[in-house]
Amino acid sequence: MIDLTLLDLALVYGLILLCAALVRLRGGEVGGLLIAALRMGLQLFLVGYVLHLIFAFESALPVLLVLLLMGAMAVHTVAGRIKERMPHFYKVVGSAMLVGCGGGTIYFCVLVIGPDPWYNPRYLIPLAGMIIGNAMTGASLAAERLSEEIRSRRDEIETALCLGATAREASLPAVRSAFNAALIPSINAMAAMGIVFLPGMMTGQILSGTEPMIAVKYQIAIMCVITGSVAVTSFLILQQGCRGYFSPHEQLVLPERAD
Amino acid sequence: MLQTVAENDQNRLLQVERLSQQRQGRLILKRVSLACLRRQLTVLTGPSGGGKSTLLRLLNRLDEPTEGRVLLNGSDISSLPPVQLRCRVAMVLQRPTMFSGSVLENLQSSFRLRREPLPPADSAEIQHVLTLCGIDSDLLPRSADRLSIGQQQRVSLARALLTSPQILLLDEPTSALDRPSADRLGELLRQLCREEGLAVLMISHDLRLAERIADQVLFLSGGEIVEQGGAEILQRPATEQLQNFLAEPLLRKPEEGAL
Repeated sequence: MIDLTLLDLALVYGLILLCAALVRLRGGEVGGLLIAALRMGLQLFLVGYVLHLIFAFESALPVLLVLLLMGAMAVHTVAGRIKERMPHFYKVVGSAMLVGCGGGTIYFCVLVIGPDPWYNPRYLIPLAGMIIGNAMTGASLAAERLSEEIRSRRDEIETALCLGATAREASLPAVRSAFNAALIPSINAMAAMGIVFLPGMMTGQILSGTEPMIAVKYQIAIMCVITGSVAVTSFLILQQGCRGYFSPHEQLVLPERAD
Repeated sequence: MLQTVAENDQNRLLQVERLSQQRQGRLILKRVSLACLRRQLTVLTGPSGGGKSTLLRLLNRLDEPTEGRVLLNGSDISSLPPVQLRCRVAMVLQRPTMFSGSVLENLQSSFRLRREPLPPADSAEIQHVLTLCGIDSDLLPRSADRLSIGQQQRVSLARALLTSPQILLLDEPTSALDRPSADRLGELLRQLCREEGLAVLMISHDLRLAERIADQVLFLSGGEIVEQGGAEILQRPATEQLQNFLAEPLLRKPEEGAL
């Protein structure tokens, strides 16, 4: 693949300057744009160096550490994105991401692809990154919708409890609706794949010289794994998260809000 | 004399002993004690924020008291599984909440929630509550959320009765009803006590109705039962607090509206 020199990069950053000029022309603020463009450059170079180092290590430990760090960052991002955190948020979301994403990554990278060595960072890190990134979106949607649904369906849930339902039964409609919401982006992405947009991973593989049919098969595989991981992660978040809203005596306990 | 005491004990379905509830450092109920007898209709009244709904929610354990206990047929309700308790002590919340689906599906919901076989529309159980609550069987296939508030009120009452309770707790069942509908509901509740042997405990601000149908009136203010007795206490209040409460012009409004 043709390498890009620093001069080449300077040339494309020229387009950012063009963008800034256009924004300025219309009287807008360019500070945010320039900072974002600089951050992108710095962050990606940093990641590049880290990856370079890990590839050189040829050992499983640093690879697994990077994966754990990515997962932790994802949980942190979910915490920042949603308006109301469910009870025991970090425990619930952290364990769900660990099982959903960890399971998905190991299943796909180690069992299905089977690279040599099994921890080959060239496979494990980018694929886990895609899985974690998508699961993060699913987790945010599931967690956000769960608290919204439980609050808005409070009367319905308590009516069901009064009619002899267990907490699990009473919260089923809320959980169902949150689960559907969490799966929508993955389902939409699969349906639009190849028609509306060419997926990034496939494009990248083709650019770096992979046979298009191999790239297509990888894209199909990763989409299936992403959907599976999103489903498992959201399912566990809803299952465990929902329990946090109820006492052991089948009572709905909403965290106090100022009246 | 001895016999009367024994009879009273036998009829004493629900006994509340020094029940207190504290929320966010504020004492909402202060050592409230009361008893509900079989075939007796009790009206719980008092100013808003006086703790009426809080008290009701403790009786079928939707909430946990800070102190005190509730006895059902002589045994502490905290020793009963909540699901079982709530079928014996049915509660209809203030806003009637219909589950999505038909009126029949709503009536069957307690069976569905407890995973029991559903009684069909022509079953004796369904027909019995339809007659009792004055619901036209033509309504059964109708979508429940299309019903008027009055009809929804009746359906939620019928739904609660289908759990075969011994005690019925109602939170302001007549607040959304016009005078004639409120009167009809009052008659129905009286009939449930006399003919079905239930004990009814209802929160109401409709004192004209309370005077007509109540066997026992409890006046709850500032988290304490300030005055209790037969319906006549509404005519001849002994405490200044009840006198002031009865003098509030807002309370008599439904009656005036009907004139």
